Amino acid sequence: MSKLIRFALLYAGIAAAAPPSGVAIRNARIVTVAGPTIEKGVVIVRGGLIEQVGADLSIPADVWTIDGQGLTVYPGLIDALSTIGLPDAAPAAAPAGRAGAGRPTAIAPATGAPGAAATPPARGPEDRPSTTSWQNAADLAQPTDRRIETFRNGGFTSVGAFPMRGIFAGQGALLNLAGDKAGQMVIASPLGQYITLASSGFSGGFPGSLMGAIAYIRQVYIDADQYKAAKALYAKNPRGLTRPDYDRALEGVLESPRALLPASRAVEIARMIRFGEELKQPFILYGLNEGYRSADLLKQAGAPVLVSLKWPEKTRDGDPEEVETLRALETRASAPGTPAALARAGVMFAFYTDGVATPRDVMKAVRKAIDAGLTQDDAVRAMTLSAAKIYGLEDRLGSVEKGKIANLVVTKGDLFQDKTEVKYVFVDGQKFEPAEETPAPPSRQRETQ
Amino acid sequence: MNRFAVALMLAWPLLAASNDTFLLKNVTVHPVTGPDIANGMILVENGRIAEVGPKVAAKGARVVDGKGLHAYPGMIDSATQVGLAEISSVRETVDTNELGDFNPQLRALVAVNPESEHLPVVRANGITTVMTLPFQAGGGGMRGGASTTLIAGQGALIHLDGWTWEDLEVRRGAAMQLVFPSLETRSFRMESMSMARTPFAEVKAAYEKRLKDLTEFFEEARRYQQAKKGGAPGFQPDLKFEAMLPVLEGKMPVMVLAARERAIRDAIQFADKQKIRIVIAGAREYGKTLADLKAKGIPVVASPTLELPLNEDDPYDSAYTVPAELYKAGVKFAFATFNVQFARNLPYQAATAVAFGLPYQEALKALTVNPAEIWGVSDQIGSIDKGKWADLMLTDGDPLEARTQIKALYIKGKQVELTNRHTKLFEKYMNRP
Repeated sequence: MSKLIRFALLYAGIAAAAPPSGVAIRNARIVTVAGPTIEKGVVIVRGGLIEQVGADLSIPADVWTIDGQGLTVYPGLIDALSTIGLPDAAPAAAPAGRAGAGRPTAIAPATGAPGAAATPPARGPEDRPSTTSWQNAADLAQPTDRRIETFRNGGFTSVGAFPMRGIFAGQGALLNLAGDKAGQMVIASPLGQYITLASSGFSGGFPGSLMGAIAYIRQVYIDADQYKAAKALYAKNPRGLTRPDYDRALEGVLESPRALLPASRAVEIARMIRFGEELKQPFILYGLNEGYRSADLLKQAGAPVLVSLKWPEKTRDGDPEEVETLRALETRASAPGTPAALARAGVMFAFYTDGVATPRDVMKAVRKAIDAGLTQDDAVRAMTLSAAKIYGLEDRLGSVEKGKIANLVVTKGDLFQDKTEVKYVFVDGQKFEPAEETPAPPSRQRETQ
Repeated sequence: MNRFAVALMLAWPLLAASNDTFLLKNVTVHPVTGPDIANGMILVENGRIAEVGPKVAAKGARVVDGKGLHAYPGMIDSATQVGLAEISSVRETVDTNELGDFNPQLRALVAVNPESEHLPVVRANGITTVMTLPFQAGGGGMRGGASTTLIAGQGALIHLDGWTWEDLEVRRGAAMQLVFPSLETRSFRMESMSMARTPFAEVKAAYEKRLKDLTEFFEEARRYQQAKKGGAPGFQPDLKFEAMLPVLEGKMPVMVLAARERAIRDAIQFADKQKIRIVIAGAREYGKTLADLKAKGIPVVASPTLELPLNEDDPYDSAYTVPAELYKAGVKFAFATFNVQFARNLPYQAATAVAFGLPYQEALKALTVNPAEIWGVSDQIGSIDKGKWADLMLTDGDPLEARTQIKALYIKGKQVELTNRHTKLFEKYMNRP
């Protein structure tokens, strides 16, 4: 028996194990995102893919049918930048645009072989400090992360998962939020290199400052260029040539198709646009708290951006006598206007959850953007098709279209309404029904007080 | 004084003993406490001012003609580390900031180095007296200035000329320095080189604990006072509590370093409860406490005016206008630099305040007679009045003006050198071949 036939049989076996071979949702409102919304239509899902979408479709006999009367079908939501699905992931650090912006980022040892003595503090770029560029989210993915279920129940079907510690933190992968094995989760990899401006402070060696971090990133990209050329030359004719040293930090950088650069404040956005252009690499900016001030600049630069849904908030536990700065008040009031401003200017943007803990809070954050002028359609797009496009995956994700991966969310009510219920979530065609949400029990503390 | 001594002094005026006797004439006298006297005379006897007026009899004293010059009382800087700190980055030359919460027994006076290079530098600008403090300011609620000290020791009022600290003394134990606990949710973390936030509840608890410690220390001192008075059996002398007695008896004021409204408010409350005299020092924000300060007669050592605004959104002139605010509220205040070498800029601190709303005469008072009153030495220094030490500066103009030159300086009637490290270096490099 030829290998091919055995292979086909193997897959047929799996398919046969899942009785009725597909699901059809009929009578539903379908927000395709890619095209016009179908007010009453049918989606047929089979083999993990969207088989058919349309207003008048005959439903095959061998599929389960779901009556979608009063329901809306959306493409599954994508968290464009996340640590969901990765082990030991610290809550997504706020983009450390400058030393002190976010919480101090723990630095992963750059060359810490297991059991090795603690590495001495780095003295320069040659020590590749805070660099784990070779780490790949696809290799780190863990289906046991509890946040997978929490977010899937809220309508999220995939995430752009990235390691987030260090300056060159590592490569991201697009993960589906379902699967028993890590390998089943991975849709695409690598997505890009996640870069922060984490500096080590006084004690941790180079780089200890913002200028040091930026100089380091610049040096690594120059080194990578050189390394690539040297390797190519050597591969062509190794005889008589000294072989270039293997450098996994540069390998990791070269493998990444794009750089993700932190930029929250307007000055940081301007700076990172200039820096990104200098790197001669496709780049994406993430953060964008003050994106409302930089929409035109971003449009001109043509770089896509990922907008954090963690809008600046008043510090809890703050000093009641402390007077807040005008700048803090302004950013807090205006940041949710960023998506609307970007949409008006025609900048390609997607949302990311940035450590917002629950899908409910994420939706609340999106509503804030909608209240600040973003259209409902643009909001949906920013969480679906735009995210897919930014990573070059619009051929398989992000819309309800024939042939795409069957990632869908079916809701009762508009996606962003407070009382909307997520009825079904499809990930790779697999149907999930979020448990009925029980109202949270009233806090005991409050009762006794 | 015999004739022979006088003759000696005429020949070598710079070697004169401190208790000089002479008549200064042809000067515009600015006594500060009274109207100016054009073409006035000042008779100095044994280092003290014996007579001031338009016409004073020489009584055989040497006559010094100060034609065209102005005579002002020497200026007083109410918060410095002059004589205690030489080079801030060389640990061995800095004799401040002892460790521990309560060190009332520490006396700045005995630690003063009369040979400090800073003394001649500072006095060259007309400053004859400074309050030198055992604790470098910066705590007391200043951002990031969480200090480990509460009672830092006794500040000393010193003259800026003398062979020994005994010579320098104007008043030892002029004030007990208290660094009021600060309550700041934001602090600088060295490890991450960033401002970090601590929850308010947490800092508040720590703040209250510090206040409690402080109260308890005062109560203990009071028990010690009782025990001593009552001759309790087994009574043991204790330097710390012994040093607190003048404070508890109201003889020594407590100089409270407090930067913000909350600290001032709490310090006033604390003083009421403990029935002690306090002077608020170094505050940048008074808020609603001004009325209280006025009502309770609590004087203030103003924070330096030549500073950046404290908060991001403060007006650019927020530090410049503080003295004018104090004046308008009727609070008695004195100027201070909270510095060592830059104590020489004291008159310009005042000048900035004048440019931003403080009446000129008030500025002059806050450099001379106000601090003398606040530190309880107004019978000794602070104005050109009969009976006071002859701490005089002779200028060619308004001392608040940066271009004005100090032509001569007298401390306790003795003319002191105006040359200093700066002028020596100036000479040296001007004459470089």
